[in-house]
Amino acid sequence: MNRRAINGAVFGALLLAGFVCVWQLQERVDAERAMLQLESEELTLHSPAVMKRLSLEYAPLLGAIYWTRAVQYFGGKHQEHNSNLGQLWPLLDIATTLDPNLIVAYHFGATFLSDAPPRGAGQPDKAAALLERGIQANPDHWRFYQDLGNVYYFDKKDYLKASQAFETGSRLPGTPVFMKIMAAKIAAEGESLETSYALWLDLYQSSTNKEVRKNAEDHLRMVKMQMDLRALNQIADNYERQTKRRAESINVLADAGLLSGQAIDPQGFPYVLGQLGRAEPNPKSPLRAEWMKEKK
Amino acid sequence: MRNVPTVAANTFREAVRDRVLYNLVFFALMMIGAAILVGQISIGIERDVIISLGLTAISVVGIFIAIFLGVALVSKEMDKRTLYALLAKPVKRWEFLLGKFVGLVMTLTVNTAAMAAGVYIALWSVNRAWQPSDIYILTAMYLILLKLALIVALALLFSCFTTPFLAILFTAGVYVAGLFASDLRTVHGVEVDPGALRLVRGISYLLPNFENFNVMGAVVHGRSVPFALVWQATLYGLLYTTIVLTGAAIVFSRRNLK
Repeated sequence: MNRRAINGAVFGALLLAGFVCVWQLQERVDAERAMLQLESEELTLHSPAVMKRLSLEYAPLLGAIYWTRAVQYFGGKHQEHNSNLGQLWPLLDIATTLDPNLIVAYHFGATFLSDAPPRGAGQPDKAAALLERGIQANPDHWRFYQDLGNVYYFDKKDYLKASQAFETGSRLPGTPVFMKIMAAKIAAEGESLETSYALWLDLYQSSTNKEVRKNAEDHLRMVKMQMDLRALNQIADNYERQTKRRAESINVLADAGLLSGQAIDPQGFPYVLGQLGRAEPNPKSPLRAEWMKEKK
Repeated sequence: MRNVPTVAANTFREAVRDRVLYNLVFFALMMIGAAILVGQISIGIERDVIISLGLTAISVVGIFIAIFLGVALVSKEMDKRTLYALLAKPVKRWEFLLGKFVGLVMTLTVNTAAMAAGVYIALWSVNRAWQPSDIYILTAMYLILLKLALIVALALLFSCFTTPFLAILFTAGVYVAGLFASDLRTVHGVEVDPGALRLVRGISYLLPNFENFNVMGAVVHGRSVPFALVWQATLYGLLYTTIVLTGAAIVFSRRNLK
């Protein structure tokens, strides 16, 4: 082996060793920085107005970057099962101030904010404020009224405002009839399973985002199950009125010819009758845990 | 006037020889990377990011070229002593200046056009279809080009009477101040002296208002730019550039080159 080849090999080995050292050092720095997580989570600049000034003429790009940061922040917290989403509102505030026409930031941002933990930040007031701002900047975008109606309906349980939001949105050109129907339905019934089902179904059908569709699908399953349970309880009540005794199992109702088909939940598990003869999800059904939580 | 195209063509050739257009490779890589990355890490803004990133890159790269090359247009010729040989020929000083200006604007036009093609390719790779609103991107690029022409004129003006370093600082300073020209007009406060307020407002009209050429916010979201705004901005850009170039020509023709 000549001298040049030896020098090359030594240089290569040194280079490799250097990179290994850098890698090791980075691991240590990462571990050290993890302890500073709380500090690093804070935003250097809190004022959206200052951010807008500093962005010169490139606010739309910065708005998109801040929206991406909000998505990453939300996703990261979700993965860590951490429901402390304190920085979500400031990030969305800055993103939408930098670019007031960033439709997705209002639409999805409101969902992130309004959903109750662990799904979201549990801040429906902030979600409503974000959507109100979105409506001001984009008055022709009827979807914001639907989103606002959903926030009032599902999260704030303010049915009057929910109905008003759907009604105002329904007056915009190009809005589907669905908005008018929902406005009337909520005004007449307040919260009902049928209304909830219709709202989630529209969200499921109209969204192209995987996460939103999955969320809507989960809610649709739950609402469908609640509707099934309500129907089963009505059948069980009728049976009790006719026979003067409460049915002990679903099979009793089926044998009496009161059920037209097999009573199974959206996950395919047969419903059962509990100790008091009330219908409930099968203990093996994955939906039972969610049902128990809602029952409490 | 007949010498202007010759000087312009040589300026363009020199810029190409100086590998100024190499930035296009970086731009192409950045657009491809952004198109792939944003789709993975964000929600619903792939198209917005490609357009805003593309326009921002065109603007930022263009501003750097306009300032640094614009300042070097005159100073480099003086440092290399080629200016003296040139002016010994029947070339008027203002012709030399105008030729340099046109040559650099030509370079910037080619640069912007190539970057525009990059933006459209990235958009196609993400959407696999065109949208009618994609055409508005060209309006934004045209206005960016007008802005760059004005910056080149400013760089030329400053380089005619000061050192390259100071000329770069002055040009960049006027550009940043020009972005805040509209804000200066709306300054208010309890303690502010009315005379000072009038002065600030007067300055705001003297500064080149670079916000006039900024339609990125509308174009990113597929909104059209009113035609009136385009021709008014065009007129503003041409008028201001002419004033600045005239100023530069006067300063340069009176400058003692000995």
